[in-house]
Amino acid sequence: MEATLERGNVLEQPPENLEGVPAWFNESRQAGWKRFLELAMPTRRDEEWRFARLKQLDFEGVHLPDPEPPAGHRGAAGLEKRAARFGFINDTLNESEVNLPEGVICLPLDQALAEHGELVAEHFMKSESTLGSAKFTALHQAHLSTGMFIYVPDNVQVADPIEVFHWLSGDHIITFPHTLVVTGRNAQVSVVDYFQSDSTARNAWAIAVNDLVAGPGSQLNYLVLQDLCDQARMIQVNTTTVARDATAKSFILNVGTAWARQESLSRMEGENAHSDMISVSIARDAQEYDQRTFQHHVSPRSYSDLLYKNTLYDESRTVFSGLIQVDEGAHFTDAYQTCRNLMMSETAEANSMPGLEINADQVKCSHGSTAAMIDDEEIFYLRARGIKSQIARQLVAQGFSVEAITRLRNEALEEIVLSFSAREFSRISERVVT
Amino acid sequence: MSSEAVLDTGTQEAIDIDRSKGDFSYPESHKFDAGVGLSPATVDYICDVKNDPDWVREFRHKALKTFESKPMPTHWATKDLENIDFDVIRYYLSDGTKPTRSWDEVPDDIKETFERLGIPQQERAFLAGVEAQYDSEAAYSNVKEELEKDGVIFVNSTEGLKEHEEIFRPWFGKVIPTGDNKFSALNSAVFSGGSFIYVPKGLKVRHPLQAYFRINSENFGQFERTLIICDEGSELTYMEGCTAPKFETTTLHSAVVELVAMKDAKLQYITVQNWSSNVFNLVTKRGIAHENAEVRWIDCNIGSRLTMKYPGVVMKGRKARGEVISIALANSGQHQDTGAKMIHAADETTSNVVSKSISVGEGRSTYRGQVHIPKHLKGCRNNTECDALLINSSSRTDTYPAITVRGNQHATQHEASVSQVSAEMLFYMQQRGLSEGAAMSLAVNGFVNDLVREFPMEYSVELKRLIELEMEGSVG
Amino acid sequence: MSLVVKDLHAAIDGTEILKGLSLEVPKGEVHAIMGPNGSGKSTLSKVLAGHDDYEVTGGSVTMDGADLLELEIDERSRAGLFLAFQYPAEVPGVTMANFIRAARQARMPEGEELEAVSYYKDLYAKMDQLGIDRKFTARAVNEGFSGGEKKRNEVLQMMMLDPVYGIMDETDSGLDIDALKVVADGVNSMRSPGRGFLVITHYQRLLDYIEPDHVHVLADGQIVRSGGKDLALELEARGYDFLKEEVVVAG
Repeated sequence: MEATLERGNVLEQPPENLEGVPAWFNESRQAGWKRFLELAMPTRRDEEWRFARLKQLDFEGVHLPDPEPPAGHRGAAGLEKRAARFGFINDTLNESEVNLPEGVICLPLDQALAEHGELVAEHFMKSESTLGSAKFTALHQAHLSTGMFIYVPDNVQVADPIEVFHWLSGDHIITFPHTLVVTGRNAQVSVVDYFQSDSTARNAWAIAVNDLVAGPGSQLNYLVLQDLCDQARMIQVNTTTVARDATAKSFILNVGTAWARQESLSRMEGENAHSDMISVSIARDAQEYDQRTFQHHVSPRSYSDLLYKNTLYDESRTVFSGLIQVDEGAHFTDAYQTCRNLMMSETAEANSMPGLEINADQVKCSHGSTAAMIDDEEIFYLRARGIKSQIARQLVAQGFSVEAITRLRNEALEEIVLSFSAREFSRISERVVT
Repeated sequence: MSSEAVLDTGTQEAIDIDRSKGDFSYPESHKFDAGVGLSPATVDYICDVKNDPDWVREFRHKALKTFESKPMPTHWATKDLENIDFDVIRYYLSDGTKPTRSWDEVPDDIKETFERLGIPQQERAFLAGVEAQYDSEAAYSNVKEELEKDGVIFVNSTEGLKEHEEIFRPWFGKVIPTGDNKFSALNSAVFSGGSFIYVPKGLKVRHPLQAYFRINSENFGQFERTLIICDEGSELTYMEGCTAPKFETTTLHSAVVELVAMKDAKLQYITVQNWSSNVFNLVTKRGIAHENAEVRWIDCNIGSRLTMKYPGVVMKGRKARGEVISIALANSGQHQDTGAKMIHAADETTSNVVSKSISVGEGRSTYRGQVHIPKHLKGCRNNTECDALLINSSSRTDTYPAITVRGNQHATQHEASVSQVSAEMLFYMQQRGLSEGAAMSLAVNGFVNDLVREFPMEYSVELKRLIELEMEGSVG
Repeated sequence: MSLVVKDLHAAIDGTEILKGLSLEVPKGEVHAIMGPNGSGKSTLSKVLAGHDDYEVTGGSVTMDGADLLELEIDERSRAGLFLAFQYPAEVPGVTMANFIRAARQARMPEGEELEAVSYYKDLYAKMDQLGIDRKFTARAVNEGFSGGEKKRNEVLQMMMLDPVYGIMDETDSGLDIDALKVVADGVNSMRSPGRGFLVITHYQRLLDYIEPDHVHVLADGQIVRSGGKDLALELEARGYDFLKEEVVVAG
C-alpha cells in the first residue's frame, strides 16, 4: 500500500522520474536535485541572510505529501467574478473552472507540459535565484510535479482575475507550488495565488516559485494572499521580467505562517517597462516576515516603484532588504523604494536594509524607510469623536496599509485584499480586548 | 575647462598652490625601520623602540594573532581589499619617539613639510594645540600653556600609555575592541603615534586641538591610535588632517580612534582627509556618549584609492546624542566606502546622520549605515539622510543601510536619493556667463554647502577649494 | 442643565496655563470666548476634550451634573461633548465615510449594527447642506484637505454626531468669507434649546455670523471679563491691550 509507506525526509530524497512529461522536464528535476546537493545551507556570513533567523530553516521530519490528498476544500470563497479558478490540495489538483477567451492557455503544469511542452520549456525557470534561496529554488525544481501555467497570447485581454488556491493539509508535509504566467504583446491578465492551510499543517512547508513574464505592451497583475496557519513556513521566490512598454504589478499580503521568506526580483528589460512591487504584512505573535527585493534596471528609460508596509504586533519581527540596481547604460531610470513599519508593541522588531546601486546617468532614484508608532494626535482625534481606544488603534493601523492596497487600482482586487486584512486586524483587535 | 575666467587672481593662486600642496616627498633618513613585512618580530621591534610596558607588548602580540585569524571582510566589502599585500608594507619608520615642543627643533625636511602644509601658521592663528605626525611618530607636539595648567593632557599614544596609564588604560581598546574587525586588530598590533587627550571635568576648550598625519615614505603603513576622553561636562573640538604624496605603490593607513564623552560632555571630531590615490585608508572610529553627552563626527573624505570608514556612536547614557556629518568625493580610481553606525543603548537617545557623496568620472561612493535600537528602550530617535550626486555617466553610487528597531516607543527615518546636476541648472548658469566646468563646480559646492558650514571656517574654505580642484576636468 | 467649569487649573510640562478658569454654558446658549494669543484658549478646548498632554491640577468640570474630568476622551465624546479642532489631524488610509461611521457605531449599544442606507442618506444630506462634494466620503480623513475643507469637515462631523455641547476652537481661522458663512450657517442650524455652544475665537468677525448670548474674555488663563455681545465689538475697536490695563488697575 503505497499511501501508507513511511516517507523519507525531503532533503534526502532524490526525485523519481515522472511519466507523461517531456524528457527535458525530468532532466530539469534531476539537475535541480544535483544543484540542491551542491549548494550549501545559508549561514550567518551570507549577506542575503543578514538579520534572518536561520533556525527557521528546520526541515526535520519534513516529507512529500501522500499522493492521495485529503478530501474537501476549505479555502477562501474568492472573487465573485473570475475568469478561471483552480484549486490544489497538497499540490494535487482538486478543482478547476474555466471561462477564458480563446487562445488563452490556463492549465495545471503537468497537463501544460504534455500539451504545450515547448512553450513551457521556453519560459520555465529561466531566471537564476540570486537573493539567497538558490538552494531552495533548486529543491523546488527537483520535486516540482505540477502548478499553473498561464499563457495569454498577443492582444488578448482577460478581464476578470484567474484564481489559484493552494491548500496545505497534514503535518510535516512539504509542497512546491509553482505559477508561471506569460503574457504576449499587449495582452492583459490578473492572477491571484491564495496560500492557505488547515490547522493540521504543523511544521508544514510551502516552497513556492512564481515566474512572471510580461511581454511588450502587456499588463500583468499578480497577487499573493498568504494566509497559512501559524505553524506552517514558507519560502517564495518571485521573478518578474518586464519587456518594453509593459506594466507588471505584484502584490503580497502576509497574514499567516510562523515564518515567511519572500524574494522578489523585478527586471526591467525594455524601454518604458514599468514595475510596481507592493506588499502589506500584518505580523503578530512570534510571526516573522523576511522579505528581500531587487529592482533591476537593465534597460534605459524604465520605471519601478516599491512600497512595503508592515504593521507589527506582539513579538513579531520583519526584515526588509531591498536593492535598486541601475545597470551601466540604463540611463533615465526612475526607481523608488519605500518601506514603512508601524510598531504596535514594545517587543516587535523591524529591520530594514534599503539599498541602491547606481551605475548610470540621469536617474531619479530614492529610497526611504521609517519605523514609527501610531501618532498620538490621530488617536486623540478619533477618540474625541467617541471612538474607543482599541477601535481607534485598529482603524489607524488599517488605514496605514490602505495606501499600499489602493495602489492595486482595481476595485475587485482591492476588495479581496481588504477583506483579508480587515479580518486579521479585527481578530487582533478583539484578541487584545479580551 | 575654462573656469579660470570666473576666478579672481587671488583665488586662482591659492588653487595653484593647493594643487600640489600634498604631493611632494623628502628623501628618507629614518633612524628606526622595522623592515618589510609583519611578524611577531616586527611587533617586538616596535615595542623595543618605544620601550613599551609589558602589558602593551602582550596586547600587541595578542592583536597580531587576532589579525592573522580574521578573514578579509570581502563577503560584504569590495574585492579590492585583496590587493593589499601585507608582506611588502613597512610597519614602522621613525627618527625617534619623542616629539619636540618647538618647531625650531624639528628636523629641517620635516619642518618644511609641515610648513608647506600650513600647520605652524594655523597653529598660530586659531589652534589650542597641535600634534604633527610624520610616518610612524609625531615630530612635533605642543599644547597652549594655559590648557596644560587647566589639566588638559595632549600627548602621543606611547607617552599616554606610559605616563598616564591610570587615565587612558581603562578606556584603551574598550570602545573599539581589538577583534572588532581585521584592521582594528592590525592597528592594535603595530599602532604608533596618534593623540591621547584628556579634558578634565567642566573644562570647555575654546579653540580646537589639531593633529596632522603625514605619510612621507613609500610602501609604508601608518597606524596611528587616538583616544580622547572628555570628562564630565567638558567640551572639545579635535581636528585631523591627512595627506600623502603620490607614489607608484600602495600605501596603507589604518587608524583606530576611540572617543569617550562622559556625562554632559561634548566632543566633536573633525576630519579632512586628502589622501593621494594610492592610499588604502581603512579606519575604525567610534565614540561612547554617556548620559546627556554628545559625540559628533564631522568627516570629509577626499582622495585615497579605497576609504572604508564608518564612524560610530554608542549612546550609553540617557539622552545621549550621536551625530555623523559626512561629505565624500570619489574621483576616477577611487572608492569612498563610508557611512555611520548608531548604536542606541539607553532611553531617549537621539542620533542623526547626514551623508552627501559626489561621484566623479569613474569614481564610486558607497554609504553603509547601521542603526540599532534594541528592546526595552524608550523614546529613541534616528534620522538618516543620504544624498548622492552623480557627475558623469560612468560614475557610480551605492547605499546599503541597515536599521533595526525594536518596540513602539521610537521613531526612525531613513531617506536616500540619487540625483544629477540638472541640465537646466547648468544651462541657467552658463547663460549667465559661467563655463560648464565652473557651473558644475558651483552646483557641487551648492550640493554640499549645508554640510560644509559644519566645518570650522578655516577648514571650510579649504574644503570648497579641494572640491573645486577635484571637479576640474570632470566635464567637457 | 449646563457645562460648568469651576476654578480650572491646567498645566503642560509643568507650566500652568489655565489659572482658575470659571465658566458656565447652559443648554440653549452660545457663549464666545475671546482672547489674545497665548491666553489659554486652545488649552481650554484640549483640556475639556481630555488631551493627555495637559494635566488638570485643580478645579472641576461637569456636564449636566456629571464629572467630565473622570471620563476618558472617547467617553466624553459619547456623553455629548464635541470639539471642532483648530488643527484637525490627518488620518491616512481611513476614509471620511468609514470614520464618521465608526464614530456613529461607537454610540450604538453593543451588538447593534449601524444601518448603512440611512447612514449614507443622512451623511449626503448634511454634506449637501454644507456644500461638501460627495467625493469627499472616499477621501482619507483631512488628508490633503484645504483649510476651509477641514473646517467644513469638522462641522459636518458635529452635525452627524449630534452633540449636547459643541466647542468650536478657532473655527474661523483660515476661512474666506464664503466658507465662514457656510460654517456659521451649519452651527446656527444646530442651535436649539437642548444644545449649548462654546465658540473660541481670536476675532470678532465670526460673531457677526454666529451671534453669541454671552462673551467672555480670557487672559492669562482666567476669564477677566464677561458681558453681552457688545463686548466683542468693544474688543474689536480697542484691542486686547485695554483689558490688560484694566486688569492691572483692578489688581
